[in-house]
Amino acid sequence: MEDELEGKKILVIQTHGVDTPTRTYSPLYYAVAAAAMEMEVMVWFTMNGTNQLRKGEAEKVELVPGSGTTLKTMLEMCLDNEVELKVCQQSLTLWDMTEDDLIEGVGILGATSIIDLALNYDHVMYF
Amino acid sequence: MAHEFINKCVVIKDLHYSVKDNTWVRVNEDGTVTIGMTDIAQSLAGPILHAKSKKIGVVRKKGRPIATVESGKWVGPVKSPITGEIVAVNEALLEDVKVINRSPYQDGWIVKMKPSDMEVEMAELLTGDDAVDAYRAKIEEDGVTCTHIEGSDEYE
Repeated sequence: MEDELEGKKILVIQTHGVDTPTRTYSPLYYAVAAAAMEMEVMVWFTMNGTNQLRKGEAEKVELVPGSGTTLKTMLEMCLDNEVELKVCQQSLTLWDMTEDDLIEGVGILGATSIIDLALNYDHVMYF
Repeated sequence: MAHEFINKCVVIKDLHYSVKDNTWVRVNEDGTVTIGMTDIAQSLAGPILHAKSKKIGVVRKKGRPIATVESGKWVGPVKSPITGEIVAVNEALLEDVKVINRSPYQDGWIVKMKPSDMEVEMAELLTGDDAVDAYRAKIEEDGVTCTHIEGSDEYE
């Protein structure tokens, strides 16, 4: 069972953003957990999920007051564990953002890509 | 046990460290090595809720996970500091995983491995004053101060 898990591909779709901090944490946590279990993981940010990728925003969102753990901490944890972070091109437009507004380490993909990804990953987790 | 305190973090001088991954290695008399998380690692993670080790018999390359560890605010792999086969896992973690927090260098070990290239890979780890110096630099750079939950091992 354990060996069967390694190398599986998990796509996490993050639609929650800085306006709903308690809903942002778990998807990123699960993504890091899957990466730690040696799965290939991508987080796809779309809809409201896009706004946490704007430079300077994620560090303002402390998940538990006084914990020192912010949304930025979680995003950095993703990158440290080689979780791919991708954002929807169309959602960037929705939030009046461009590539220059994004934090480092985030790639941009078009809407057709998400369909390909969903079909090619072993499992999609939608939040 | 010779050790140093750096910002309340304990560094045991006769262990061998992968400073980057915050793991330690102890060489055992039977040719195996014991591997665990450092005091710094357990402090950064906070009170640990779950730990899942790879199984006995699994062969790991250096840098690959030998376990995954979760706390309320952190989740991540424990990366193997050496290449080898896992020959024992710490069953005590199943009963009380916070032993990793309380006793990172003794009772809270993660796995034992039979190394396949010990001579070369051990030379890549840091021990003694070299390890202390490297951790001092890292701890100061990262601004880490270690914390210890009730019942933690005490060092004079």
